[in-house]
Amino acid sequence: MDRYDAVVIGAGNGGLVAAIRLLQGGAKVLLVEKHNLPGGFATSFRRGRFEFEASLHELNDFGPEGNGGDVRDLFDSLGVTDKIEWVPIPDAYRVIIRRENLDALMPFGKQAFIDKMERYVPGSRQSVERFFELGEQIRAAQAYTNSRNGAVDSSVMVREYGNYVRTGSYSVNEVLASLRMPQRARDIINAYWCYLGAHCDDLSFTHYVSMVIRYITRGAMMPKMRSHEISLAMCERIRELGGDIWFNTEAAKILTGNDGGVEGVVLKGGRQIKTRHVIANCSPHVVYGKMMDGVPEKIVRATNARKFAGRGFSMFLGLNKSADELGIENHNYFLYDTSDSVKQYELMKNIDTNRVQATVCLNRADPGCSPDGTAIMYFTTLYMSDCWGDVRPEDYARTKEKVANIMIDRFERDTGSKIRDSIEEISVATPMTYAHYCGHPEGGIYGYESQYWDGLNPRLQMMAHDYMTRGLRFAGGYSMRLSGYSSAYFSGDITGRQTVGDMKKEG
Amino acid sequence: MAYKFRRQIFGFMDLLRFKRMVPVRENKLAEAPATPLPLTYRVNETAKILHPGLQTAELVAVEDVAADMKTYTFRLSKKMIFRAGQYVTVGHNVGESFVSRPYAVSSSPFTALRKGELSVTVKKAGFFSGWLYENAKPGDSFTIGDPSGFFFYDGVRDRSDIVGIAGGSGITPFVCMARAIAEGSENFNLTLLYGARTQADLAFKAELDRLAGNNFKVVYILSDENKPGYENGFITAEIIKKYAPESYSVMLCGPQAMYDFADKQLAQLGVGGKYVRKEANCLGNRDVKPEKYNLTVHIRDEVFKVAADSRETLLAAMERAGLKVPSKCRAGGCGYCHSRLIDGKFSIAGGDKRRLADSKFGYIHPCCTYPDSDMEIEVPQGE
Repeated sequence: MDRYDAVVIGAGNGGLVAAIRLLQGGAKVLLVEKHNLPGGFATSFRRGRFEFEASLHELNDFGPEGNGGDVRDLFDSLGVTDKIEWVPIPDAYRVIIRRENLDALMPFGKQAFIDKMERYVPGSRQSVERFFELGEQIRAAQAYTNSRNGAVDSSVMVREYGNYVRTGSYSVNEVLASLRMPQRARDIINAYWCYLGAHCDDLSFTHYVSMVIRYITRGAMMPKMRSHEISLAMCERIRELGGDIWFNTEAAKILTGNDGGVEGVVLKGGRQIKTRHVIANCSPHVVYGKMMDGVPEKIVRATNARKFAGRGFSMFLGLNKSADELGIENHNYFLYDTSDSVKQYELMKNIDTNRVQATVCLNRADPGCSPDGTAIMYFTTLYMSDCWGDVRPEDYARTKEKVANIMIDRFERDTGSKIRDSIEEISVATPMTYAHYCGHPEGGIYGYESQYWDGLNPRLQMMAHDYMTRGLRFAGGYSMRLSGYSSAYFSGDITGRQTVGDMKKEG
Repeated sequence: MAYKFRRQIFGFMDLLRFKRMVPVRENKLAEAPATPLPLTYRVNETAKILHPGLQTAELVAVEDVAADMKTYTFRLSKKMIFRAGQYVTVGHNVGESFVSRPYAVSSSPFTALRKGELSVTVKKAGFFSGWLYENAKPGDSFTIGDPSGFFFYDGVRDRSDIVGIAGGSGITPFVCMARAIAEGSENFNLTLLYGARTQADLAFKAELDRLAGNNFKVVYILSDENKPGYENGFITAEIIKKYAPESYSVMLCGPQAMYDFADKQLAQLGVGGKYVRKEANCLGNRDVKPEKYNLTVHIRDEVFKVAADSRETLLAAMERAGLKVPSKCRAGGCGYCHSRLIDGKFSIAGGDKRRLADSKFGYIHPCCTYPDSDMEIEVPQGE
């Protein structure tokens, strides 16, 4: 009973997909989750007459039936697409930077996006068209890379996907400058940067453009019953395939054998599970820092080299008026102080200077998500330092309230809509909340930062190098695909299939 | 012709840079310091104080505070802070079963944080509160759960003047709030309307009188006694109007009958919606024809068969059988006992507070679910 082919630690987005992939590969699988719910950040919670989405703003790369993206294809092959009811997101985004007099509402659809940009920034058309052209080529190159599991033929790469190779080592800002994209258009097109959590001098262009074109060409979707619906659909699928899921079950230790490889997992409370394969849907910092003994120096160094990405803060509001009554026009907003993402990133290192927000009014995607005459909003920001570590327990509630007020003030000022007097329910999640529920260091929600040297390209090319403990692979935001819903799903897909391969090799 | 990207003057430099990404990253990973990885982080340590989880705590004092009402003070084994008005579960073995119940904390947040002590004040009323009243003595070891619930002041949502309406043992969260205002851990104005049957039923009167000042006022309303210095009757619209400031939010804690009465009074005053918040009460037995059912419970890889009763919640049935299962609010709202329905018919009391997808995929909260047939469920391991 206490022997499994593989144990998946953590039922976050990566762990759930990994478990399904392992089961589809014929493995006997135990998924353990320390919380009493699946999903990690992909969950929901009730307050009064509202059910709040915990984290998902919009699911990228899913697309409608007939124009499905890679996430839809993945969900199809996992067997979960039809278990979930989907709602489309109306517009791509509205970015407002009042100080720079920028207020742009960008649509989905490549041609509509390019046309709208030309209206806002006359003369931008050619550079934006080239942006999309590069994006399509990069997408094709990524599909080729995936089909070869990262082991690509470099002559094919250079011949067939030359632009991918030529842009592959550059940041967003470097490539957009080379495209001679007008500054104003760059400011608008860079608005998604906070979804990836690194500023545009650091952020890999290929990573960024592949995200943007997936949003723009396929649109974005939401599960009707919040991301909790996706998480429960995946749990149902795991059980259909014969997998076991144990909630309220924390993995305390990973046991290793003489070869340094995985031999088992010790659960909190002392119970041991024998297994030769673990997929950890958590950070290498936590796994190597406290779950394993005798970690080789090479691994310690490699882990120390990584930089924690943004620590999360979200405010959830249940409003006792409708979005129309409140004058909330759009589904999702990016509100910045400056279009210079490097400067903005610096301001996000401090609780008192961070005023960035990515904000959603869920009713604009799904009018029925809350009772008639009400609305649901959520506001998210990231802290680019450990500044919440300075907050003492006795100042915690006050600090939460301060940031909540900063967010409300900014939203009201930038959009002109008045929401403060209509707040019927409020809930605030801080880095402490995320640390509590998911155990991530410093309350991070974005894994390891996409630094210049640690972006998507080298991570994907170095999957074999980063596999440093026999039988231990990682899924989720800290792994090879970086953070975000779709990335985490793909990481589970990749790592699950790789582990099935590891098992086959063992015979 | 298709667009060919070039950044460097010599295009092959772009290719060279691409090739160097892997060795550059390899070097970065190899050259980082070999200092041991941190065991923990500051934010994660603060999170442990905000959410300490279930802990053992020694009962250090028991004090009579009113008729049939005692304050139990525990020495915490973990550092903790909470919001004034929140509850904790208090648990102990009773016979073969481990039993726990949610009680509002009556001591202040800083007393927990700085002195490591936490008190609950409990009226002898039900199974566990009766057991506590008769049996609990200093030196006994209990479990104390995470601070929970949302019955606390919110500076963004609420008006800064709060009218508190307390009935009977519903006074406890307000005692905590009055103490918190005095020590500075909460910052709002509280006008407390405290209803009881007789003067002897009032708990904490001396302390509340002493705490009364600029930010805290207290009015006593006795239903069965007419005494100078006290209001007589119920907490009516007239009483509320007499003592409340011009604009305010209302927080209520007491029995359901009090809520029903207060709703009508507040409606007369035009106060409702977001300005009125009530603490939920535990769900007890339901009044139906007694029926015996079989309940099959899966916990991890173990299966238990226990007896269930149509009048009792599934949680009560599992606890009675001695199973270690999660429980917290016992009112259907917190979701801590979130469990998977495998088979069987059931009814939910107190309004269905589940998430939408829980209903769709067959999940239930055993603390508010009564069996209408034999049932089979999968429940997470209790702590």
